[in-house]
Amino acid sequence: MAKGKVIQVIGTVVDVEFPQEALPDIYNAIEINQDGKKIILEAEQHIGNNWVRCLALTPTDGLERGTEAIDTGDSIAVPVGKATLGRLFNVFGEPLDNLGPVDAKEHYPIHRPAPVLEEQEISTQMLETGLKVIDLITPFTRGGKIGAYGGAGVGKTVIIMELIHNIATEHGGFSVFAGVGERSREGNDLWLEMKESGVIDKTMMVFGQMNEPPGVRARIGLTGVTMAEYFREVEGQDVLLFIDNIYRHILANMEVSALLGRMPSAVGYQPTLGTDVGELEERITSTKRGSITSFQAIYVPADDYTDPGIVTTFGHLDGVISLERSIVELGIYPAVDPLTSTSRILDPQVVGEEHYQVARGVQKVLQRYKDLQDVIAILGMEELSEEDKTTVNRARRIQRFLSQPMFVAEAFTGTEGKYVPIKETVRGFKEILEGKHDQLPEAAFYMVGNIDEAVAKAKTLEE
Amino acid sequence: MISPRILRRRIRSIQSTAKITRAMEMIATAKMRRAQEQALAGRPYSDKISQVIADLAAQPASGGALHPLLETREVKKIAIVHITSDRGLCGGLNTNINRHTGNFIVGQDVPVSLVTVGGKGRAFMRRAQRDIRAEFTRISDRPTLLETLSISHIIIDDYTTGYIDRVYIAYSKFINVMLQQPMLELILPVEPAIIPKTESTEYIYEPYAQYVLGELLPRFVEMKVYHAILESIASEQSARMTAMRSATENANELITDLTLTLNKARQDMITKELLDISGGVEALR
Repeated sequence: MAKGKVIQVIGTVVDVEFPQEALPDIYNAIEINQDGKKIILEAEQHIGNNWVRCLALTPTDGLERGTEAIDTGDSIAVPVGKATLGRLFNVFGEPLDNLGPVDAKEHYPIHRPAPVLEEQEISTQMLETGLKVIDLITPFTRGGKIGAYGGAGVGKTVIIMELIHNIATEHGGFSVFAGVGERSREGNDLWLEMKESGVIDKTMMVFGQMNEPPGVRARIGLTGVTMAEYFREVEGQDVLLFIDNIYRHILANMEVSALLGRMPSAVGYQPTLGTDVGELEERITSTKRGSITSFQAIYVPADDYTDPGIVTTFGHLDGVISLERSIVELGIYPAVDPLTSTSRILDPQVVGEEHYQVARGVQKVLQRYKDLQDVIAILGMEELSEEDKTTVNRARRIQRFLSQPMFVAEAFTGTEGKYVPIKETVRGFKEILEGKHDQLPEAAFYMVGNIDEAVAKAKTLEE
Repeated sequence: MISPRILRRRIRSIQSTAKITRAMEMIATAKMRRAQEQALAGRPYSDKISQVIADLAAQPASGGALHPLLETREVKKIAIVHITSDRGLCGGLNTNINRHTGNFIVGQDVPVSLVTVGGKGRAFMRRAQRDIRAEFTRISDRPTLLETLSISHIIIDDYTTGYIDRVYIAYSKFINVMLQQPMLELILPVEPAIIPKTESTEYIYEPYAQYVLGELLPRFVEMKVYHAILESIASEQSARMTAMRSATENANELITDLTLTLNKARQDMITKELLDISGGVEALR
C-alpha cells in the first residue's frame, strides 16, 4: 500500500503526491484518515511530477496539505448478490438503511468494461408495462434502454415508481434503482413506498442525491449498474435498472471536469461528455446470459432538446418517452406526448401488424388535431369540415383515453390504479379509431383502464 | 423549445390569416347593411300577405277548396325548402340551420324531399343521403324576385300536382347583428287564421274568387321564398361579420403570444451565445 501526501485541494479535486515507483492506477481508491473520519478519493489523472489528480467522493472539509493518503490498490468495490436485495446503498456500497452490515460474498469494482459485441443479445422482444400510452406508442424492449424526457415537475419520478410497481408485481423480476442527484426526500419516499407495496424484497437501491459531493453523483450510476450486472452475468436474471436522473450524472461530471483542469466545450459541457455518458450506457445491455432493461429519467434543461447533454444521451436509447408540460396542464397523467415519443421496436415485425397500425393511427389523428389547432383557435370549430370535426372529436377522446390512474398515485387521484394488458390497450384504441365510441362523452375516457371501463363510466355519467 | 425560425414562420402565417379575416369582416359589414335594409323593408309586406292569406284560408269553403294551393290533403310526402349560404366562414350559421332542419327530418314518419338553396345545405343533405328534389346555388347577394321564381315554382307545381302534401321553409331569421335564428315555417297548405267569432270578415271577391286567388296564392308562395332568402342573406352577412371579427381578434391574440415566445427564445439564444463566448475567453486566458 503506497503512501502519498496531499499537495493541493481545490474543492472536490485533490492532488496527491506519491513515490515515483508506486503511483496508483487510474480509478484506484485512495483513503485519507482525517481525525478518525475517512475521506475517499479516486485517482483520475497523472499530471506529472509524481502528482495524481484525484476526485473526492466524500466532503473535503478541513482537509490539510501534507496529510497522508493511502492507495488501496484497487478501485471502489461494492457488494453484489442476493444479500443486497431489499437494501439501500451509497456509492461505496455501504448500507444506508440502518439494518446492519451486508453479508455479501462478492464485491465487484464499479469500473468495469462493457460487454463485448459478440456477447450481446440480438433478438428483440417487447416488455409489457401495463401503462396504455407507453405500451401503445413506445413499447419497451426487453433489455433495452428507454429515456423519459421532461422538464421539472412533469411526473418522471411518478412514472418510474409506477413501472417498478407494475413490473415487480406482474413480472416478478429484480429491480435496481439508482438515485442520481435528485431530491433526497424522493429517495426516502420511494423506500417507504416500496416497503408498503412489498416490492422491496426484489429491489435494491443506491443513492447519490443532491446533498452529496459531485464525485459521488458522477459515480453512483456506475455503482447501480455494477449491482445490476452481477444479476445479469452470474444469476442470469432479467434485471430492471432505473436511473433517476441520468442528466444529473452528466451534470456531476461537468462539475468536476473543469476542476480536473479540462477546458469546457460546447455550452460549457465537459470535453469528455460522450465518454462520460458512453461508459455508463454501454454497460447497460443484454447479453446471452441475461438482460438489463433500463428506464432513465432525463431532465431537459430549459426544455431545450438541442442541448448537447441531451443529444448525447439520446444516441444511446432505444426509445424515448417525452413528457410535456402542455399535457400536464390538461390534467392528463402520465403526461406522455404521443407525437414526439418513439420506440425502435414500434415495428410490425416486432409488435405485430395490428398494434403498429393502431399506434400509427392514433398518432395520425392526434397530429391532425394538432395541425388544426390554429384554425380552431382563430376561426372556431364551426368552420371545420365534417371529416375534420370527426377527427377532432376522436382525437379529444384518444387524448383522454391516454390518461390512466396509477397505483402509486392513488393517494393523490383517489382512484384505484389500473394495469392494462397490451391486448386490451390495442383493442380500446382500435375501437375509438373505428368510431365505435363517438357517442360517449369525452369525460368517460378520462382516467379509466380499458375501453369497457370507459363505456361503464359513460353510463354512470348519464345517470 | 421551439426554434425562432419556426415561430417566425407561424407568426407570418397567422398574420396573413388575420389580414384576410379583417378584409372579409369589412366586406361583410358593407354587404350586411344592404342585405339588412332589404330584409327589413320586405318584412311588413311579407307579414301582411301572410295574414291576408291566412284570413282567406279561414273562409268557409263551399264544396272543396277554392284553389289547389289551399287544399289540405293527407300528408304522404313533405317538402322542405332549405336555405343556407354558399360559402362558409360565417360561424355557426349553417351548422345551426342544418342541424335544425336535420332534427326535424329525423322526427318525421313520412318521406321528406328537399329543395336546397345554397351549397352548404346541399352538402349537408347529400352527406345525410336525403332525397334532394332540386338544388340552387350561387344566388347573388342582392337577389331580385325574378331570380327566386324558379325555386318557388317547383314547390307550387309539386304541390298542385299532388307530388307533395306539405311544404316547409327553413331559413335563418335575421334578428340582429349578433343573433340569427334558425326557423322552420309551414307555407303550404296555408294554416287558417283563428278569427274571433265576433268579427265578421267575409271577403267579397271581384271579379270572382278563383281569379283573385289564382293571382294571389302563387304570389304569396313566391314572396315567402323570396323573403326567406333575403333574411338568410342578411343573417349570413352579419354572422360572417361577427365571426370574422372574433377570428381577427383571436389571430391577433395568438400573434401577441407567439411574439412573446419568439422574443424569449431569441433572448435565450443571445444569452447562451454570450455565455459560450465569454466562457471561451475565460478558458483561454
